[in-house]
Amino acid sequence: MVCFLTPSLLIFLLYRMLPLAWNVVLSFQAWSPLHPPSWVGWDNYSEMLYDDDIVWQALWNTLIFMGSQAIGVVIALGIALLVNSDLKGASVYRVIVFLSYPLMTVAVAIIWRWMYNERGGLINFVLRRLGIIDKPIAFLDSFGWALPSTIVANTWQVLGFFMIVLLTGLQSVPPHLYEAARVDGAPAWARLFRITLPMIKPSLFLCAVIGILNSFAAFDLVYVMTNGGPGHATELLITYIYKEAFNQSRFDYAATLTVAQFALLLVLAWAAHRAAGGNAGALE
Amino acid sequence: MPLRSLLSSRFFIVPVAIAIAVGGWNIYVSLHARGLIAGHVVDAAGRPVADATVILYAHDFVTQAEREHTKTDADGAFRFSDNDSHLIQLQAIEGAHSSPRVTIRLWFRAQDYVLTAPLVIEAAS
Amino acid sequence: MTRRACTLLVLRHALLVAVAIAMLTPFYWVLKTALTGENIYAYPPSLLPVHPHLYNFVDVWYLIPFPRYLMNSVIVSLLAVAGNLVLNSIAAYALTLPFRGRRAVLVLLLSCTLVPFQATIIPAYLITARLGLLNAYLGLALPLMSTIVCIFIFKAAFEAVPRSLIDAAQIDGLGELSILTRVLLPLSTPAIATNVVLAFIWSWNNFLWPLIITRDPNMQTLPLGLARFLSYMEDTTGALYAFVVMVLAPGLLVFLMAQSSFMRGLTAGATKG
Repeated sequence: MVCFLTPSLLIFLLYRMLPLAWNVVLSFQAWSPLHPPSWVGWDNYSEMLYDDDIVWQALWNTLIFMGSQAIGVVIALGIALLVNSDLKGASVYRVIVFLSYPLMTVAVAIIWRWMYNERGGLINFVLRRLGIIDKPIAFLDSFGWALPSTIVANTWQVLGFFMIVLLTGLQSVPPHLYEAARVDGAPAWARLFRITLPMIKPSLFLCAVIGILNSFAAFDLVYVMTNGGPGHATELLITYIYKEAFNQSRFDYAATLTVAQFALLLVLAWAAHRAAGGNAGALE
Repeated sequence: MPLRSLLSSRFFIVPVAIAIAVGGWNIYVSLHARGLIAGHVVDAAGRPVADATVILYAHDFVTQAEREHTKTDADGAFRFSDNDSHLIQLQAIEGAHSSPRVTIRLWFRAQDYVLTAPLVIEAAS
Repeated sequence: MTRRACTLLVLRHALLVAVAIAMLTPFYWVLKTALTGENIYAYPPSLLPVHPHLYNFVDVWYLIPFPRYLMNSVIVSLLAVAGNLVLNSIAAYALTLPFRGRRAVLVLLLSCTLVPFQATIIPAYLITARLGLLNAYLGLALPLMSTIVCIFIFKAAFEAVPRSLIDAAQIDGLGELSILTRVLLPLSTPAIATNVVLAFIWSWNNFLWPLIITRDPNMQTLPLGLARFLSYMEDTTGALYAFVVMVLAPGLLVFLMAQSSFMRGLTAGATKG
């Protein structure tokens, strides 16, 4: 019986557990392709905290990216509320919104790069036609606009997934609660805030976790759209880790960054868990 | 799963339809891919130009390389027989005059193609 | 229906149509750019393709080379899907049976879900190099051959099979593997469909892992080829966007074919999750 589990466990061991441990080990070493690694204690960590400016910029960008997922969740909740019911054509709308999620993120990045282009892009064209601006904005080349532009592209892609998760939660709310509230004369917004939102807390928690994971994993989109952006304006922690590891060949320092990022991920996931009321937000 | 429902499910029909379309296309391509390019050269007045040099350029995204050249016969007709590219340019030259470069885009490599319009050598090049 | 309810319905549809347009516009813009026959950097861009032609697709096919990257992606995805089906189904079956340490294994697996792939890339690269699988199809597919989400999808489907069927099979003397293949799997086709689609999508779209692992341009998969093409191609034709369309087409086709059972399986998995 155990032998049935062995192949899967072997893969998880090789590609999840062992790498996690090895990252921690690497972060305390000086690694080089030429000679065996040596122990350097906390040197890598002190370099990260005191000598590196980019990592703080990357951290800040990652946190902004994460916060913006909330906007995506709100929009997805609105769409889910609109689509939730026996509305004619609801499944068509659902498929259209979800269509962007299974796509290759590299392709999505190229599509949005083109949408933001100064000459051939739709966004600048519409803005100029509407008279809002009279010279094109170089969205992906400007320090101020680059990160919001990548956030918009990311939201476009993840919206469908948030919508599906929230739809599932909405459909599990027992309708008699709404009936009772309507009988009691509660207006629609009260029904939304007092009944719907508390009842879909597990789904909201799941969306929060997905959003956190997404901002730690959004390598493909940022790498292809801006590669860290003008300067480091769109540098996320994951793109910085990739550059340190595979462009600069500094595996030890990149491992340190990975350990720090993973610790941050755990802290945020635990905070979301507490904010959802413990027990993964599940209801009694 | 009974065989009949398997055969009529879209997971069977769609791949089979795609395979048939791909197979049919490949057959068509292999029958029409001999690399023949044929056309005419005329001058500005519409008279055929004999003994003009026609150059075939093969094109990829960034470079154009001259591949071969041939001469037109007495009726101004020319013919290449081993083109292996899908994006070519043709230019006719006679003495100091030449025609503009004409770009021809084919559907597949070595597609047989006959020019619909002749290459026009202008008096002033 | 009442006037008020009618207005609300119209408003609802209007909002949803606006959302649908917003979601579909990027697709249309890229398709238009791939088909158009003009200089794509001319301003103002036209809203419809000008002199549309399909020759950009021919260019992409021969000059990328698209067939090579397509084949690489297909082989890696097939390996990942096959590995996924086999390894995850046997692991999920083992988890439905009572044995000592089952709870510990479940906790271990659940905690592994919190480790994203991106936190493992450096050691995963070193391990794959030690295994000698750099730049190989198996090396590209190996990390994707078993995922925890898929194990739990199978587990939920297996646990939904009535106990009596399994007992009857055991009385008939079928071994464990036969119970799995003859009884459980045929009754779990939505779970199989969901897992096939998920495994295919994850390996087809995977960019970071092939970026790290491949050394040889001939072993690149489609996402890698797309990113490389972007970096050295700035021509004024829509060839890059034709490449994007050709890359997205198989994924969209697979998704649209499987979407009803996939969405069903996804929502079931989310609630049991």
